[in-house]
Amino acid sequence: MRDRDYTHAIQIDTDKCIGCSHCMQVCPTQAIRIVNGHAGIMPERCVDCGECYRVCPARAIYVKDDGLSVIKHDAYRIALIPSVFIGQFPSEHTASEIMDAVKQIGFDEVLEVEQAVDFMKKEYALIADEIDHSIQPVISSFCPAIVRLIQVHYPSLTEQILQVKAPHDIAALYMRKSRQKAGNIFISYVTPCAAKIVAARAPVGEKVSAIDGAIDMKEVYNMVSKTLMEKKEARLSKQFANMSPDSVNWSLSGTEKQYFRGRSLAIDGMDNAIEFLDRLESGRVTGVDFLEMRACDQGCAGGILCPGNRFLTVERLEQREKKLAYLTEVNKWVKNDLMDYAEELHQVCKTDPVYPRDGLMLDEDLEKALQKMDRIKKLNSYLPGFDCGACGAPTCRSLAEDIVKEKATISHCVFVQRVMEKNYNLSPDQAFHIIEKIWGKDRLKKYQHPNGKTES
Amino acid sequence: MHFEYEIEGGDFSSAGKASSDIKKILKQLNIDPQIVRRIAIALYEAEVNVVAHACKGIMKVDLDAHKIKILLEDEGPGIENIERAMQEGFSTASDEVRQMGFGAGMGLPNIKRNTDEMRLTSVPGRGTTLEMTVNFSQ
Repeated sequence: MRDRDYTHAIQIDTDKCIGCSHCMQVCPTQAIRIVNGHAGIMPERCVDCGECYRVCPARAIYVKDDGLSVIKHDAYRIALIPSVFIGQFPSEHTASEIMDAVKQIGFDEVLEVEQAVDFMKKEYALIADEIDHSIQPVISSFCPAIVRLIQVHYPSLTEQILQVKAPHDIAALYMRKSRQKAGNIFISYVTPCAAKIVAARAPVGEKVSAIDGAIDMKEVYNMVSKTLMEKKEARLSKQFANMSPDSVNWSLSGTEKQYFRGRSLAIDGMDNAIEFLDRLESGRVTGVDFLEMRACDQGCAGGILCPGNRFLTVERLEQREKKLAYLTEVNKWVKNDLMDYAEELHQVCKTDPVYPRDGLMLDEDLEKALQKMDRIKKLNSYLPGFDCGACGAPTCRSLAEDIVKEKATISHCVFVQRVMEKNYNLSPDQAFHIIEKIWGKDRLKKYQHPNGKTES
Repeated sequence: MHFEYEIEGGDFSSAGKASSDIKKILKQLNIDPQIVRRIAIALYEAEVNVVAHACKGIMKVDLDAHKIKILLEDEGPGIENIERAMQEGFSTASDEVRQMGFGAGMGLPNIKRNTDEMRLTSVPGRGTTLEMTVNFSQ
């Protein structure tokens, strides 16, 4: 079975894109090429990790969300916010205050996603008893960018992905079950990243997501910041703990892994994940039962749509954990309403298996793919091998691939061009035209003098 | 298609290079991911064997549309008793090697498990030759 749904939230605005290739250089899956002066994303390879978004100097790379317009829907409107959203604000603002400010944007109710983590912990304890130990380690399904990275680049590991929904899906399912009286409900998720938007729009391992729309966290952050600044009245504050204290840290790195029995590792950051998955795939990692993985450094606190500093966010969530621990101690209990539905949620929390994607495949026909690979090997030894990127591909190897896929020609390489010009196989005009085709028509304009000579 | 890799005895930090390279190629060929994984595991174990026991070795990989054939020839002490070497848990690795997390005696049995054909020959005092084949269709 193959998964061929390539929906993406990361988009490029070609009107803004200046073709600087910063994104192409950082893309961990080599999914970006420069053509006609603009960056373009290969949909079959992109995993929506957002590394390109972080480095774009022209803000041409954007995340397509569903926007705040959803609050105009004629429905009972629910906002799900992750704990990292609360961690965007200085500790002088309480969680209750922040959630109230979110509500004022136009929601009927606001729920913190991490309330669903108490349920996840119980579920993990059950799963540890059931799992097939021949398939080790189990890989967390929490981070959708990691799930997609595995689908495209580590297809043999897809069956190790935990078949359980993520906390925001559980939180949404809980709201659907517990707020039935409200009639038609519309659930929006305030997202710290692009991958979670894709997970809501085109989920892997389930047919439809329980979430109706995703809103860019920055947008909500701006409105809440304004409300909090203008706020003068008495402060709202929690009187009891509505979830176990460490649940607030679940989306960061290192908490989730503690709830899976046995030996476990927490890995954050795309490069770290890639290095580790490569080892794992070659059988170089043994005796590990569970892998918690987050595409972003510091987990969701480092999400591309989080406006604040990731380290401050982590520290604030640590403070919240302490506060919840204090409330738990004083009251001697935690009152998490979601757990009243634990039985019902247990029935619906599983996902279908995750299947590989074809992002790397050269040809469906093995014989043809092999011929193409043979050509790539030859081209690769011919190309200079220092990955300058002037051809519009991130590495010489990617150019070789593009050539056999008939998306580029060998003359795209500036070094090969020089040789071709010397041997009179390519005229300077032709070489000029090639560069223009890659880097855009006006890209070479500034080097030309009005009298036709180049600046020296 | 043919590939060759030189393997340096004792260079544990570089072990895995050939496995990683070949795996990258196989992933682009529409081969069942689980078969790719079996090959990657066998290649890695074979590389580690040379690194842990021999002075140096050469790995020759040939692949066509039906199968991958790997030939590993090393110069080193060789294997005295091949039957025993194939038993799970048997290892002649030094304490040093074991401390690095290698030499648990699972390497050769693991190669056997992950390949369709495996042939091990050795001249004690000279070296070892390992041939293995994995078919692309089950």
